[in-house]
Amino acid sequence: MAVNELLAQLHEVAVSPKKQLEKYLSEGKKVVAVAPVYTPQEIIHSMGLVPMGVWGADMEINEAKKYYPAFICSIMQTILELGIKGEYDGVSAIVIPSLCDSLKTLGQNWKYAVKNIPFIPMTYPQNRKPAYGLKFTKAGYARVISDLTIATGAQYSAFALTESIKIYNEHNAVMREFAEIASDADITAAQRSDVFKSAWFMLPEEHTAIVKQLNEELKAGPKAEGKVRVLITGILEDSPSLLKILDDNGIKVVFDDVAHESRQYRTDAPESGNPMDAMAQKFADMDNCTLLYDPEKKRVDYIVEQAKKHNAQGVIVLMTKFCDPEEFDYVPIKRACEAAGLMHLNIEVDRQMVNYEQANTMIQAFKEMF
Amino acid sequence: MGQETTKPKHVVDPNSAKYKLGQLAAQAYTDAMEAKARGEKIGWCASNFPVEIPETLGLYVVYPENQAAGIAARGGGERMCNVAEADGYSNDLCAYARISLAYAKLKDAPEQNMPMPDFVLCCNNICNCMIKWYENLAKELNIPMIMIDIPFNPDYEVSDAQVEYIKGQFWDAVHQLEEITGKKWSDERFKEVMASSGRASRAWIEATSQAKYVPSPFNGFDLLNHMAVMVTARGREAAGEAMETLLKEYKENHEKGLSTFRAEEKYRIMFEGIACWPWLRVTSTGLKSRGINMVTTIYADAFGYIYNDFDEMCRVYAEVPNSMNLERSRDKRIKLCKENHVEGLLVHTNRSCKLWSGFMPEMSRQIGEACNIPVASFDGDQADPRNFSEAQYDTRVQGLMEIMEANKGGK
Repeated sequence: MAVNELLAQLHEVAVSPKKQLEKYLSEGKKVVAVAPVYTPQEIIHSMGLVPMGVWGADMEINEAKKYYPAFICSIMQTILELGIKGEYDGVSAIVIPSLCDSLKTLGQNWKYAVKNIPFIPMTYPQNRKPAYGLKFTKAGYARVISDLTIATGAQYSAFALTESIKIYNEHNAVMREFAEIASDADITAAQRSDVFKSAWFMLPEEHTAIVKQLNEELKAGPKAEGKVRVLITGILEDSPSLLKILDDNGIKVVFDDVAHESRQYRTDAPESGNPMDAMAQKFADMDNCTLLYDPEKKRVDYIVEQAKKHNAQGVIVLMTKFCDPEEFDYVPIKRACEAAGLMHLNIEVDRQMVNYEQANTMIQAFKEMF
Repeated sequence: MGQETTKPKHVVDPNSAKYKLGQLAAQAYTDAMEAKARGEKIGWCASNFPVEIPETLGLYVVYPENQAAGIAARGGGERMCNVAEADGYSNDLCAYARISLAYAKLKDAPEQNMPMPDFVLCCNNICNCMIKWYENLAKELNIPMIMIDIPFNPDYEVSDAQVEYIKGQFWDAVHQLEEITGKKWSDERFKEVMASSGRASRAWIEATSQAKYVPSPFNGFDLLNHMAVMVTARGREAAGEAMETLLKEYKENHEKGLSTFRAEEKYRIMFEGIACWPWLRVTSTGLKSRGINMVTTIYADAFGYIYNDFDEMCRVYAEVPNSMNLERSRDKRIKLCKENHVEGLLVHTNRSCKLWSGFMPEMSRQIGEACNIPVASFDGDQADPRNFSEAQYDTRVQGLMEIMEANKGGK
């Protein structure tokens, strides 16, 4: 299949998650919603369930205002809004981790706002690397398994988890390869985003098959030329209006440190030994993320290293409004970029934004600096 | 909009609880200053970090949250927030954190100075914002960070798995601190600290429960000041003594028909949330002028750290406000409202605190229904004066009062 057809296929999935939900339900599958940022998707998958990502949507908030004050991030608010409005009806449960303060409140509000979809908490440790941290991660997974069984009747088996880990690791590898190929390939910011976004609404084995083909086509295809090369960091980068501004201004996304995108695929679970231990080890090995305890701020160094590695001329921070962790990290990121001679730009984004004029002006000005 | 200034101080009886508690709170700063001057390593410590650790090790620590509240109450909040914002910190971030990060840069604030740290002690049982704030402090100041992670508990009870996780971290923290400071852990000293903490906690809970009397023998705004000692100094013997003095005074007030609430107590409310420190007098006067006494807050329950052994201590630290699920948080408040004959709930929707405010609308609805009391909320901030409107506060409090009045008429 040609590049454009593959991209069109992924675009269709990215813009119509509800259709995907209906497709899986019509196939007799049970779907489990997974909230940002990390959840044990391999475990859900291994139990024969389909994990589907819920990261909110660009929309107006009405019903969720009964639960949230205005200063909670719009990702949480719109997830709740969609839940209240029945957009997730048919889903068997939602797994919500408590990795930030707003996620903690999402779980608590969910119980009362969306009573027809059970809330399953996933409690991760921040001190995730020592033995006691690994043990606590496993206790969190055991809790998720038990709640999933209650919600869906599905059973856990170590054998199935071993298989699912392999499937996810393959998907991780394919997505990492895509990110590298897309660094130079002639592909728009919007198309690149579709590849990552569609992954949240498909079974990984289905997504892997398409992205593998895409990678081969892109490798053989033309390279992007005459663009301003940037690394994007943030929680989300899926707003069509914003992506269009990037593309219209000749901004080339050469790599990302986006929670919704590459952060998901950096770390594999070991494929040997007890698969539950492997899953805990995977979480322990994860780093360079604003939501994971990082006393040395390695994430900041990682951004600079990756920018240099991918010949980025600048870094664009897409700051999700009211995202505390990202707002704290911004200052050291800014300083590190300045020290490394990287141009940087901070654009505040919000799921309720309708007017992107300010962002457009900022990006135009940014582009003119090169 | 002008910010209020502090009232001139009047002389306080040195035998009073107020004096003793004030001294204890101030002593944390002077002790740490002196220790630093002697060349000892001192720390900055999160308010709900297990104080038993530094206390047992004989380490001097100061509390950035307490400092930020002090700076804000004395009128320096906006100035310090501006410093942090000029460095790139969003004004949506917690104002305590902004003030603290500004202090880490300036190393001076006339409202409340404190020595610079050699290490930071972080615990996220009150919020994950603490983690990022302390990471930034550690990075900026190039000092070690010790973190005890106590995750938000989605269940009603604390699980054994969580207790075990906390225990593992507790000993790791002790060993790291032994290495950093050269001080040694002593089981004997730990027992003494546990005993002091228990003594202070029991007296605190009993003192705050004196609001069961109508009228209450105290003005609930007192608790906002006294709780600082419960947070920071309860491991010290003097804290127990000071809290017992407070209890004695409240009992005497009740017997003599007196109260630190200097007005006729017409209505009794629970105040929900952290104090609006830059507007403390305005928020207090807005209630007192209407005869509304804030008889209880969650702090009345929350800072009673009563435990009998090490495991129970770990469990207690997972049961602080903001680490509990909605149902448990709700039930604790319902109990306080019922025991203290509360007639209305006033909620501070605190812009600085996403966790505290993020499920408060639902929880306060449930509390209102369970206790059959009206609920009103106002927008404010624990330390940034720009996020509060006196007019809105006044209107909301007036509305709450009118419903309480109507309820009385209907009874």
